[in-house]
Amino acid sequence: MERRTFLGSPAAALGAAPHATGGPPGELPPKFIPTAYALPRSGYSPFTTPDYYTYANDLVIERPRRGQPHQGKVLAAIQPHSDDVPLYCGGTVAKLIDEGYTGYLIRVSNDEAAGRTLGHGVVQNEIDNHAVAKPLGCKKAFSFYYRNHRMDDDAEIEIRARLIFLYRLLQVDTILTLDPYNHYEENPDHLVVSRAAEAACWMAGGDKDYPEHFRAGLKRINVREKYYHARSPQGHNLVNRIVDIGAYIDHKVRANVANVGKGPAGNAGARLRRELAKQGKKLPLLGDSDDTANFAYVKHFLMEDFRLLGEQFGLGYAEAFRYIGPEPDYSANLRRYIDEHAAPL
Amino acid sequence: MSPDIVVERDQSGQPHRGKVFAAIHAHLDDVPYYAGGLCAKLIAEGYTGCLIRTSNDEKCGRGTIAQNILSNQEEHFKMAAALGFKETFDFYYRNHRMNGISSTEIRGRLILLFRLLKVDTVISFNPWGHGEENPDHWVTGRAVEEACWMSGMANDFPEHLEAGLRPHPVCERYYFYARSGQPYNRVVDAGAHIEKKIDAIVECRSQGGGDLGSKLRAELARQRRRLPLLGDSDRTADRAYVRQFLLDDDREYGQPHGLAFAERFFYLDHRPPARSKVDAYIGKYAVPA
Repeated sequence: MERRTFLGSPAAALGAAPHATGGPPGELPPKFIPTAYALPRSGYSPFTTPDYYTYANDLVIERPRRGQPHQGKVLAAIQPHSDDVPLYCGGTVAKLIDEGYTGYLIRVSNDEAAGRTLGHGVVQNEIDNHAVAKPLGCKKAFSFYYRNHRMDDDAEIEIRARLIFLYRLLQVDTILTLDPYNHYEENPDHLVVSRAAEAACWMAGGDKDYPEHFRAGLKRINVREKYYHARSPQGHNLVNRIVDIGAYIDHKVRANVANVGKGPAGNAGARLRRELAKQGKKLPLLGDSDDTANFAYVKHFLMEDFRLLGEQFGLGYAEAFRYIGPEPDYSANLRRYIDEHAAPL
Repeated sequence: MSPDIVVERDQSGQPHRGKVFAAIHAHLDDVPYYAGGLCAKLIAEGYTGCLIRTSNDEKCGRGTIAQNILSNQEEHFKMAAALGFKETFDFYYRNHRMNGISSTEIRGRLILLFRLLKVDTVISFNPWGHGEENPDHWVTGRAVEEACWMSGMANDFPEHLEAGLRPHPVCERYYFYARSGQPYNRVVDAGAHIEKKIDAIVECRSQGGGDLGSKLRAELARQRRRLPLLGDSDRTADRAYVRQFLLDDDREYGQPHGLAFAERFFYLDHRPPARSKVDAYIGKYAVPA
């Protein structure tokens, strides 16, 4: 996520734009069919949903599933920065893990650009990455520590190689990460990580890429499912899956509260509560402690755009993805045709 | 030439049993020519040897670029077998273009292999050797040198530890004497291992002159002549040709030391002392409390 100038003061941010925008049709003449749709936005935070989505005609709403249908499967949530997964896809990560996935969190940058000093930022975000993994249910968190905002100067092939190593080691079936085709992406770390993550998916399944891994006991793995999310505030990616995260919104909130070194969440509620107290005021919403304030702040203000997105689809809260699923069994389809149509000589 | 040249002679028994060396070269014929005798000697003295080739050798051979990659690959395995290597790895970076690749990626791959194979000693290009005009050579040498110490650091590629690998520094290095004027401080007696070196060189047919003897024999036959030196088969011709015409450097390097054949290296020993300076000081000056 790009911090930009949002985090000066929680109160100032709240006073900026406390009303929903977007959604209604503009001045597009009726002879044109829109190819992108503006999202209703609360205006509370830039780091939520993007300004536009394009929807595929075969869009699927992924609802909670009973039992543990994903038992035995492994997911990797890959983020350049400690707040990307919590903000953009934390609900879906928590949902999939609750449905049986074993989850891993991989952070690629060192987040040095967010903190009182560069050194403080690196340390706090390292702590946060581990803290974020817990409420999401991830088994382990990894960090690669490439320099923040400078990843376009790193060798993408080396990042890809490290991801191939981890995909094979952890036997990853599914990844969640930024969409490598997000339009108007202004953060180079996002572009580099998403491209490396995507390319690593299929290369991890080959036997000619890094064969020394097999000598180390690793096995090939085809990463067959991908959930690509948008960036914000300006984004625009293709969406073919809406995930109902209503039952997991509190997991998502807790993951964002755990992220104190970066992003719009963390201790923002507690800071607002103290700021109001100095003015002799309080917001009942924030409760009576820093903990209640932090939780309520994130849920009420930062999750509002995900509620508005869900509302579009009759859901409580939602996250949107370009989902790429397992490929068809092409050879089985061919065999079926041959079996049905082959005639005696 | 350095004044403190050490002549490394054959050692009896298996003094290196349990140790592992990796010979890392860019091209099929680098190790056979620069260090074939040393590799055979160390394996005979107990080392387990592993061979790593970094380029795909596409520019060398008599076929198309694609055919060259295949022929060099096949010959690499044969050459490794001739010298007694236990394992062989190929990275296949494009030949003559390795200064365009990511230095961190090749280094990362070497770190993985050094940890996996628990490499104690490397044999490779001197990354600081003058006169080196082949970018594949110095890129390989640089990556090897950097990987040697980083493979001992737990914070470099910590995901390797998740796979059960442990940090493992490489403490001994033999750098090739690849170009005239490069430094060397060790001369290795290759006399007892010259037959294995010849065996290795004759497998280098796409490059390295391994088949020049049989070619010469065929050419002379067309002229209705023969050289008794070359014997009665292509195999004897290739081996004789290498021995007679392609080992002049080895003879020259051995001559000042009274050796029939020798190879030159710049040797670095970074093994920690058995007893540290602090321990020695404590042993000498500590008093009862």
